[in-house]
Amino acid sequence: MREEIIVSGRNNPLIDPQLHVWHWEIPTYLFLGGLAAGVMFFAALYYLRGRENDYRTAVKLAPMIAPIALALGLIALFLDLHHKLYFWRLYTTIRLESPMSWGAWTLMIVTPVSIIWSALHIKELFPNWDWKFDFAKELIGFFQKNKKVLAWIMLVSSAILGIYTGILFSAFNARPLWNTSIMGPLFLASGLSAGSAVVIWMSKNHAERKRFAQLDLMIIGIELFLIIHMFMGFLASTQVQIDAVNLFLGGPYTASFWGFVVILGMIVPAILEGLELKGYKIPVAIPVVLVLFGSVMLRFIISNAGQASRWLY
Amino acid sequence: MAIDTKKCVGCSDCVVACQTENDVPIGHCRDWVVEVMDGTYPQLEMELRSERCNHCKNSPCVRCCPTGASHYSDGGIVLVTKNECIGCSACITSCPYDARYVHPDGYVDKCTFCLHRVKKGMQPACVAVCPTKCMYFGDLDDPGSEVSEVLKKRKYKTLIPEAGTKPQLYFLI
Repeated sequence: MREEIIVSGRNNPLIDPQLHVWHWEIPTYLFLGGLAAGVMFFAALYYLRGRENDYRTAVKLAPMIAPIALALGLIALFLDLHHKLYFWRLYTTIRLESPMSWGAWTLMIVTPVSIIWSALHIKELFPNWDWKFDFAKELIGFFQKNKKVLAWIMLVSSAILGIYTGILFSAFNARPLWNTSIMGPLFLASGLSAGSAVVIWMSKNHAERKRFAQLDLMIIGIELFLIIHMFMGFLASTQVQIDAVNLFLGGPYTASFWGFVVILGMIVPAILEGLELKGYKIPVAIPVVLVLFGSVMLRFIISNAGQASRWLY
Repeated sequence: MAIDTKKCVGCSDCVVACQTENDVPIGHCRDWVVEVMDGTYPQLEMELRSERCNHCKNSPCVRCCPTGASHYSDGGIVLVTKNECIGCSACITSCPYDARYVHPDGYVDKCTFCLHRVKKGMQPACVAVCPTKCMYFGDLDDPGSEVSEVLKKRKYKTLIPEAGTKPQLYFLI
């Protein structure tokens, strides 16, 4: 039997005996970022399709969550940094090969766009809202005139944000479990699913809820399809990938992944939404909370299990 | 750098020399010794390796660094610029050798091949202190250097070349 031990007493904090350098901050941010991407994507999509009055919640109200989610996510990201006072270094350079650089710059676009979009619709929430200053009114007027351009920017940048939350993981070739490009579309789908769940929750319009339940069902189907393909890809790959995916197939993350992410986070809400579409009365909060819970768990489990997977030598 | 696994006795002098030379904080290591035991008793074979950053030619840590703090320096040595590092740990998760750690001051730290000594014409601390002289350091691009000569004569391996990092630490076997 081959046995390999470090005999010199290397015990670097956060790295030995098993890498655990990323704690709750990164998965929390990835969830909040994905959620923001989801609501912003649908808002831009249905605005551009001219359905803003049919899907009022999706276009006007739900995106107000985005700046809040992004702000909380950015706080989590900031807490994760060990050299906090140097965070501005992210914005003195553009590194095309680094997904984190892409993410930092995407956030630089997405965050202001989400704030502007919320500002444009603030009167929907507070009808007596007054901007008080002339320059604020002029600014709002300017964006109102160019809303279509803004929506296009929002559509593209929110999709990049959603994909980036997954690509962040897949770019690290030292952790075999993360090392698949399926992470990008999977996390995007998960973010869109969370976004549509929030719209279902907030909406009071039956047609809108029905449309987003249909959308969510479709997205959950895509997620399951991507997960199956991720497993197929890993199992047909090298020993390190097989070992990595075995964390979910009998290893320590089996119960939490299949139980929380796949069954409770995808299959059960899909069944409930399906039943609701068929006319059964189901409290809307149940599938919505389950989808959001599954979305959070997916990030936490992939983050932790990925750090447990490694190359062998 | 080339390290002779047949000569290494696993004394960890290299580890202590590095900690002293580079003021490595207590409880942290830039280099370490790995013991590999292979076979079934009584037919056992042991290999000792003094490991550290592989100063890869295709470094995932340099690629994923969002600020450019991780970079290639003179002669391909991979370094971290302290006051450009934000401590995001992306490089730590991207290194298949787990060669980096977070310094208590917040930035990410790792082996520098003692560039400050090399610039003065000296050997890295680990090489200089090794009691069995099992390490060879020099310019791999210079066919006449000691390290190039020993790699011509001896069989060697690198660690997980299949990770695609093009590691530049050669273990003589």
